[in-house]
Amino acid sequence: MNSLNRKRFRGLSVHVILMICVVISVFPFYWIIVMATNTSQDIYSYPPKLWLGDNLLTNIDHLFDKMDFFGSLLNTVIVAVCTTLLVLFFDSLAAFAFAKYEFPAKKFLFGLLLAMYILPTQLAIIPQYEIMVQLGWLGTLKALIVPAAANAFGIFWMRQYTSTGVPDELLDAARIEGAGFFRLYWHVVLPCVRPALAFLGIYTFIAAWNDYILPLVMLVNPEELTLQVALAQLYAGHSTDYSMVMAGVLLAVIPLMLMFTFFARGFIADATKGALR
Amino acid sequence: MDLSRRRFLQTAVLTAAAAGVTTACGGGSGKSGSKDSKDLKFWYWAGGLSDKVVADSKKHFSDVKLKTSVIGGDFKTKLLTGMKTAQTAPDITGIKGEDIASFLPNANRFLDLNSLGMDKLAPEYLSWKLKQATTQDGKVIGFPIDIGPCAVYYREDIFDQAGLPTDPAKVSAQLSTWDAYFDAGVELHKKVPKSFLINNIGAVFSMAVGQGTQRFIDEDNKFIGDQDHIRTAWTTAVKPYTLDIDAKINDNTWNAAISKGTVATGLGAAWYALDIQNAAPGTKGKWRVASLPSGPSNLGGSFLCLPATCANPELAFEVVKWILSPENQARGFADAALFPTSPAAYKLPELTGGDAFFGGQKTIDIFGPAAEKIPAAYEAPADAAVSAPYYSELTAIEAKGKDPEAAWKDAVSQAKQIAQRQGVK
Amino acid sequence: MSSSPVAGPVPTGPSSGSANGPSGQPAPDRHRGPGRSGRRVRPVPAHRPPAGSRRGPRRWIARYGTQYLAISPYYLIFSVFMLFPMLYTVYLAFQKWDGIGEMKFVGLDQFRFLWDDPVFWLSLRNTLVIWVLSTVPMLFMALVMAVLINSTRRLTAFYRVALFIPSITSLVAIAIFFGAIFSNNFGLINAVLKAMHLSAVPWLSNEWTIKLVIATLMTWQWTGYNAIIYLAGLQAIPSELYEAARMDGAGPTRMFFSITIPLLRPIILFTVVISTVTGLQSFTEPQVLFGSDASTNPNSGGPGRAGLTTLLYFYNQAFDYNDFGYAAAIVWAFFLLILLIVVINWRLVQGKERRP
Repeated sequence: MNSLNRKRFRGLSVHVILMICVVISVFPFYWIIVMATNTSQDIYSYPPKLWLGDNLLTNIDHLFDKMDFFGSLLNTVIVAVCTTLLVLFFDSLAAFAFAKYEFPAKKFLFGLLLAMYILPTQLAIIPQYEIMVQLGWLGTLKALIVPAAANAFGIFWMRQYTSTGVPDELLDAARIEGAGFFRLYWHVVLPCVRPALAFLGIYTFIAAWNDYILPLVMLVNPEELTLQVALAQLYAGHSTDYSMVMAGVLLAVIPLMLMFTFFARGFIADATKGALR
Repeated sequence: MDLSRRRFLQTAVLTAAAAGVTTACGGGSGKSGSKDSKDLKFWYWAGGLSDKVVADSKKHFSDVKLKTSVIGGDFKTKLLTGMKTAQTAPDITGIKGEDIASFLPNANRFLDLNSLGMDKLAPEYLSWKLKQATTQDGKVIGFPIDIGPCAVYYREDIFDQAGLPTDPAKVSAQLSTWDAYFDAGVELHKKVPKSFLINNIGAVFSMAVGQGTQRFIDEDNKFIGDQDHIRTAWTTAVKPYTLDIDAKINDNTWNAAISKGTVATGLGAAWYALDIQNAAPGTKGKWRVASLPSGPSNLGGSFLCLPATCANPELAFEVVKWILSPENQARGFADAALFPTSPAAYKLPELTGGDAFFGGQKTIDIFGPAAEKIPAAYEAPADAAVSAPYYSELTAIEAKGKDPEAAWKDAVSQAKQIAQRQGVK
Repeated sequence: MSSSPVAGPVPTGPSSGSANGPSGQPAPDRHRGPGRSGRRVRPVPAHRPPAGSRRGPRRWIARYGTQYLAISPYYLIFSVFMLFPMLYTVYLAFQKWDGIGEMKFVGLDQFRFLWDDPVFWLSLRNTLVIWVLSTVPMLFMALVMAVLINSTRRLTAFYRVALFIPSITSLVAIAIFFGAIFSNNFGLINAVLKAMHLSAVPWLSNEWTIKLVIATLMTWQWTGYNAIIYLAGLQAIPSELYEAARMDGAGPTRMFFSITIPLLRPIILFTVVISTVTGLQSFTEPQVLFGSDASTNPNSGGPGRAGLTTLLYFYNQAFDYNDFGYAAAIVWAFFLLILLIVVINWRLVQGKERRP
């Protein structure tokens, strides 16, 4: 009896602690909404307002005066979608070759892939910037999309999945019917690796959506900016009007959050799988 | 989680096409290479020009396609990036006063405005300001937008509470030296404990340096940041810190501080008025302007420049000339607190009238005389870079109570190091 | 190639390669050795593969061309936008260049400046302090959270989603948010302190609290992510091990240290390496928090430059001051430092693993 109670108490306290962690995790979103729906004067005042206000539309109005929100949103979507699709294609293609074929220098090339992982982007960013100047890509979204169009992590991840998730028998069967590399890829590999693609897609999309330093360096004009850079500029230039800035933060965070909660369960399961391998 | 192949392909093609179109539109505009294009790209920053005047310029030059962009973030960084290629470069651009010197070594990247008729206009504009944008061989790369004659902005109501004089003339008379100004601050903080005299000591330092005729590097490209004139400015700046009348604000909470009366005075140029109005619209009518203690100083004041890649130099110069005509400069003052560079504008009603934000005070009475007496100092290209350590060390005093003497030594040694790196002797 | 490996698995060499087998990590056999299984399905199954001997180049292309074509996009992009730029950065470190004018060879001058530059050393110190302040509590709390979630059956899916969310949130948005709540004059944190009759703390002005704010931000963002990864590791530990230990009379603490920690070691290694690489590269946090419009912002990184990380200093020198040669020297010196720390970390964790 006593031990049962103790067990119950322990179970309950575990949930209490975890709930506190959850509250800390999601509190910022609540508070962003609070700040975005009140006036700046409310934010400055003491005691602060803890509940939602009714100033959201005014704040959004001010926001749209100060920045081209939908333009930035469109740029961000273009960058994220293009990057994601290119990464999915190039990475899965390369992964197929690495997983199911032998060719000279394969080990070396694959090893190179892994070694590259700890290189900071900044190590290359000055010459990258000069290359974009030479290509005439400076200030265009190409400068963000092309360098990110294939990445080591994606190839690594897809190779793991391809080598186990695509049955050799299936490949052999298709080969007997005379399918070459690309037909095999298209008709056999792609259908088999869909779950892995979905994860890589979401991962790449989030990374591209949130990227900051590359757009900060490569983009110039207000109409070229992605959301992250536009937001940072808004904050630096207009931190007077906190509620307006927070409305911007809110609008910029919402799309990704919706997407994430939609895909969350499968995504997290895959994310941890990646770490475990 | 399902991603069908057909979908995948469709979206891939569609987005690739969309990206192609957008980037093509972004990159393809303008530049046909000829020098008589009617499309002009015009860059400035928020508050750098009067938006009303800019809007009117589009009407005035109705045959020109003037594409204005208000560039956010760090303007100089963005401009240097933009000027990398002709295709991304603006045809007309603003350059901030603190940056103009660093562009002079690369003056060949800009058009010499004298060849476009600036030499004839020069007498109408303040010569010391024009000199800042003039190379040693006499090329002028910048058309002066505004100057930054400095003053003390003070809260009349808080001065009243503290028993200090409130009338601008009397305040100017009583706070005629830095020491008198700081004494008043001690008095004020004693009577009104929540208010401090200044927001940070870096502001005092930049004013005090600007009051001299020499800065950190002399005309022979020699480092002089360790000499008496800088040392004196430093000592002056540290005083309010030791007197505990420094609010030590070094972040963006300045906005809140200025609304709440945490700072009772602000040291700033004419354009500072706009910052205060934006930060604290609720304090309208409570502010006044008095002369800067110990003599006038200048802070900032920008230029319009034409990059060498300009698509139509003559036309671009006409646009600039129109935007910065004395009449439009006067409107710029009323609209964006840009103090004119053309003395002819000082007599126009926009300047001679009272300003409601300052309780109807005619601020020209303070700024006008200051503008004429600003000491002309040589500003070397590396000046801004070399001066940076002084400011960060002053902040270090405020942020972590660093010993001012140690801070001075560190500032000088860092400045020397940067000077050496920048090729200063 | 994103600046901060946002969310998700970033399997680097160390954890994924050799470390896979030894200590109880139940890596299923089917995950291993793609090469071996791949040998069965050669594109030209009729021939034996005496790799690239005696045949002419045409034969060679016919046999391997497609594979090379398939992997070429990555290596092409990598060479153009990473490898060449990296090497060029080395070249730049020996030049003086303002980005517009002529380059000038200056030999080792930039590195000599670097050695004597107190701001560079300050930035290194800041980076390391922020890294320690964030990584240690982050990984510790993550482990505790993982153990707690693993001890219960209810609500686990909910916890996983809720705790994962911070890691996918935009860093810029979060930095702005932290700037607002830690604001000296009106922030929520100071309001709470005031409500508890404590005096307000100038969070964003003080040398230590600035670092604390940045570290808190990073901890907030990555603790849940690491917890989820640990959780997956914990779930892979067979429960029989615990039962056997319980039969032998081991308490929960004993079991934690003699079963959980050793079996989790490869995963801990993975999280340590990732946290090191990302933690040392902090840039966006101070850049957004203390960004300013002044082109020569003397207080880059906040008052007293207390939040000036090395990468932020690099960015200032390169893109604000246009001292590209010096910036190149900074970033290379910094990279070597990261490499050193990663190797030390790896040695430490791996070395312990070899202990009987």
